[in-house]
Amino acid sequence: VNLFGVLDISASALMAERQRAEVVTSNLANAESAGANPAKVYRRQEVVFAAEPMGGFANAMAAAGAPGPEGVAVEDVVTDTSPLVKRYDPGNANADAQGYVHYPNVNPTQEMTDLMEAVRSYQLNISAAQAAKSMIQQTLTLLK
Amino acid sequence: MSLFDTPGIRTLESYLDVAEARQTLIASNMANIDTPGYKTQDLNFKQALAAAESGQDPYVAQHAVNGLLARPDGNNVNLDRESCLMAQTQLQYSTGIALLREEFSDLREAIDGGPGGSSS
Repeated sequence: VNLFGVLDISASALMAERQRAEVVTSNLANAESAGANPAKVYRRQEVVFAAEPMGGFANAMAAAGAPGPEGVAVEDVVTDTSPLVKRYDPGNANADAQGYVHYPNVNPTQEMTDLMEAVRSYQLNISAAQAAKSMIQQTLTLLK
Repeated sequence: MSLFDTPGIRTLESYLDVAEARQTLIASNMANIDTPGYKTQDLNFKQALAAAESGQDPYVAQHAVNGLLARPDGNNVNLDRESCLMAQTQLQYSTGIALLREEFSDLREAIDGGPGGSSS
């Protein structure tokens, strides 16, 4: 267990938040990917985070009985199964036989708040990493 | 007891170990701020210091923090609490480092033969 382990934990969070932001931007990019066949229309994706024991800690802590510090990982990316948005627009090239166009179940407002949250969490973990870095640098002053 | 293994140095070493362990748990809490069901973890400082002084791992004093408001997904990480604790832990660590430097400079003074010593 050392201060470099703190950097690993913060790095795991940075990777997870980045992946979350990627999924959110993919949702936003496909917000208008409409189609006639509901089975083929884009559906909103969502990441699922899970705490992940950090390599070295996990072994040492299993013996001590405490969970020890945990990083975070994207456990799964799931598809939102809520219904698609159906709009009546017979003139649209994407309309089905009944004149309906199926739009993805993406709500841009929800995605934007999710994106802001991911960005803030990313910044938060950057400051945690900077704190660990400054502590490591202080340790080095002992050598002077 | 050797020259470099004074009680002061040993205690400060344990103190730094505990501050470091606490910083690790704070980073871990911050990393899991969006993890459903995650519970805030902390160290009992007194127990952790005692454990570190007796050569054990400070994490034996780890516990889930009570009394924090949990969000609907079961996660109870409070950003303000973690930020304040991080600042506090960093200052504690700086204090430990400063005191340890002081101990070492005392030793160096002894090696050099006092303030009016020959070398440096």
